[in-house]
Amino acid sequence: MTIYEQVKKGLQNSLEELSRRNEELATGKRILKPSDDITSSSRALGYKVEISIREQYMRNMATGDLQFEFTDNVLSSLSNTLLELRKLTISGVNPQDQQARLFNSQQARFLRDHLYELSNTRHLGRFIFSGMRTDREAFVYNPLTHTYEYQGDLGEMGLPLNSNSLVGINIPGSEVFSPVLRNSAPSSLSDGTSVIYTESKDPVTGVNTITIEIGDPMSAEHDVFTVTNIMDIANRLSYAWQYEDIDSSFIGETKAMHRIEALQSLIDDARTQVLEKQTELATRRQFLKDAEERTKNLLNTLKKSLSLSEDADLTEVAIEIQKAQTGLEALRISSIKLLSTSLLDFLK
Amino acid sequence: MSLSGLFDIGRSALFASQTGLYVTGHNIANVNTPGFNRQEVILETTTPIVTGAGFTGRGVRVAGIRRYFDRFIYNQIFFQSQKIGLTRTMSNIMTGIEETFNDLKGAGLSGALQEFYSAWQEVSSSPDLLPARNLLLTKADSFLRVAKEMEGAIKNTLNDIERQIKDSTEKINSLLKQIGDLNGKILQVESGLLSEKANDLRDQREEALKRLSELIDISYYEEDNGSVTVNHGTFALVERENVSMLSAPVERDGRRGVFINGQDITDTIRQGELGGLLSSRRDIENYQLFGLRRLVGSVIKEINLQHRQGYGLDGTTGVDFFTPVKLYLDNYSQGAVAEATITDMGQLTLDEYEITFASGNYTVRSIQTGNLVASGTYISGNPISFEGIEVTVTGSVLQDERIVISPLKNLIKDAEVAISDPLKIAASSSGSTIPLDNLNALRIVNLFESSLPELGDSTFFEYYNALVSTTGIMSRNAQDSLKFEENLMAELTRQRDALSGVNLDEEAVNLIKYQRAFEAGARIIKVADELLETILNI
Repeated sequence: MTIYEQVKKGLQNSLEELSRRNEELATGKRILKPSDDITSSSRALGYKVEISIREQYMRNMATGDLQFEFTDNVLSSLSNTLLELRKLTISGVNPQDQQARLFNSQQARFLRDHLYELSNTRHLGRFIFSGMRTDREAFVYNPLTHTYEYQGDLGEMGLPLNSNSLVGINIPGSEVFSPVLRNSAPSSLSDGTSVIYTESKDPVTGVNTITIEIGDPMSAEHDVFTVTNIMDIANRLSYAWQYEDIDSSFIGETKAMHRIEALQSLIDDARTQVLEKQTELATRRQFLKDAEERTKNLLNTLKKSLSLSEDADLTEVAIEIQKAQTGLEALRISSIKLLSTSLLDFLK
Repeated sequence: MSLSGLFDIGRSALFASQTGLYVTGHNIANVNTPGFNRQEVILETTTPIVTGAGFTGRGVRVAGIRRYFDRFIYNQIFFQSQKIGLTRTMSNIMTGIEETFNDLKGAGLSGALQEFYSAWQEVSSSPDLLPARNLLLTKADSFLRVAKEMEGAIKNTLNDIERQIKDSTEKINSLLKQIGDLNGKILQVESGLLSEKANDLRDQREEALKRLSELIDISYYEEDNGSVTVNHGTFALVERENVSMLSAPVERDGRRGVFINGQDITDTIRQGELGGLLSSRRDIENYQLFGLRRLVGSVIKEINLQHRQGYGLDGTTGVDFFTPVKLYLDNYSQGAVAEATITDMGQLTLDEYEITFASGNYTVRSIQTGNLVASGTYISGNPISFEGIEVTVTGSVLQDERIVISPLKNLIKDAEVAISDPLKIAASSSGSTIPLDNLNALRIVNLFESSLPELGDSTFFEYYNALVSTTGIMSRNAQDSLKFEENLMAELTRQRDALSGVNLDEEAVNLIKYQRAFEAGARIIKVADELLETILNI
């Protein structure tokens, strides 16, 4: 190899090194292509995929958390409304005071309508208490039967928090609005009239139908009626204060007062049920928060590992650039001296 | 000895010095000529005459001009050139291909695949919302677009390789012709001469041989008459002035083969630029192109299989998300007609198969694994079934005829998102649980994190990562090999230049040496002339 070739190769190598270091400085990356460092680049690509997946899970969690927060607010409002209804039933209205009864009736109707409104709450365009059938209202009023009917199902949507776990982000309306009997149900009313509560649950919709039988079947005051949800309860109360059944037929004072008293325990049960669902929701939310915290920590670790794999140490790169520049300068100077001196120069 | 003898001595000195100056000038003139070996005048004394005083010299004569040439070093450079040609070509090509798979710069398929995966996640977390569904369709389209761009880039490289194979063959032919011509000239020049060599012609021929060896693996030997015979394997490319040209026609599979006298020598070429081109083509087809197609094929196959199980918001089911995987046939038989269908998409391995016919039987082998997957007696019209595929061949087949079946050949080119209506995205597992049911979308999300047998028990991401790493390793190996071979070549070149290269300082000394000798020779003549004049004036 002639001296010219050596100089040329030396200059090429130095310029390549300088160019590479400049690119490192510009991009901040130590690895610019896989062949620079196979192991690190493979790791970096793996970390990037992991980070992308975890970030998506974080977005899922944000969506879930928003849904939980929204549902929790609705349940709080629901609980307050039930409390108002319960207060109404123990307000001690004098049956002779027609104005007071009408006022209670009207209040119950307002509360019924508010409950109905809450049951059909929409979030992001979906009816949140319809189970999987979020494109339709959870409850509709049937004018033929004068009852509120559940249109949803028992479906719960699982939101992925990681590759192994899901969290249900919705609560089917039947589990919130259709109360189940608890131990608090009385066997007799304050005047000693017997009362029997029976229930049957639809396994598909989760709707619990509670049948209330008041008094001796042989007695004239014997009464049997059913409720499937808290709107039905409020509706029955509203009519009862007017001594009417839900179809507006007259039922008389005794039956009406019995109904109002019999429904009190169901309102208590419904409130308990709502509180339980709020607790369940809080548990799920905590589960999500824990997962979010773990994912956040994992993301930090992954990002740190990615940085270690592919990021350049800028101080080191700056020093290397300085070294490369100095080397190149030295090579240029020495090359000029080497190439300019020849014996031919002396043949003058 | 008479005075005129002194004139003869002076004249011989002038002639020798003049030849020395010619050779020195020739060396200086060729200081940058590739393959030039420096030359030197060989001087010897002329036969002395016997005088009363004993043997008296009669001057100098040019016995010849020799070149500084070491056959051993040259042969090492010659064979090293083949390796340089191979590794330089492979390094250039693999560095280019590596850029296509350079996900570190944000290009490549990984990002598009991640976004496609995230879009499925969005649908799974909001299966009833149209924006998430529209986003998914957009991301699916982007994924295919990036895959198509990558396949396009790989195909461009392969097309470029095909062009280079043609160019390389033409360069080889040109050099073969040049060597043949030089053989003829050397034979002509050196004919009848005992020791004199046609130095410059030999330099040119050796340079041509070296350049030829950069293109293809060859061997050569010099005949007694001075001509060289050049061989590739057992094929003689040059004998004296006779040359066998290479050809590189496009074959039925669309690739160029290399032929000599009608014989296919493609698989025997392993060194030089042509060897590098053929080797790179093989590697890129088998790893990068096949790997990319297999990954995209797997994504399409698996997502379609799961998508068909689910229900869209409009209640539709059994719908493909992407245009389905289909089979492509390359029928190399002359008389048979073949048709292939996928009978069980779930069983499809995404391998390519070759059906060969011999002695009335057929065998089906996976091209990728080489495994025999089916065999039997060939009966026209009887279906041949294997791994979710059914092939019906009708007509007569000849011995060793073959049919190639590929589920991947045009897969990326033909791939599209099959649905345009976001309502048809089957996120739900049942028609009665629409719209919030996300189970089917979750199953598709899980596919991205599942190990799949057709990808060697890797996930989509792991398989792609391995593909990128393999490309990086191939590029690194090619670059390292090139650096190693170049270092070796630099050392050999240094050795060769130390012996055969022109050193201007040395030539400058020679210039002075011969100039002075010429002046001295002239002085001899002048002295002889003065002596003669002295005598004449007596």
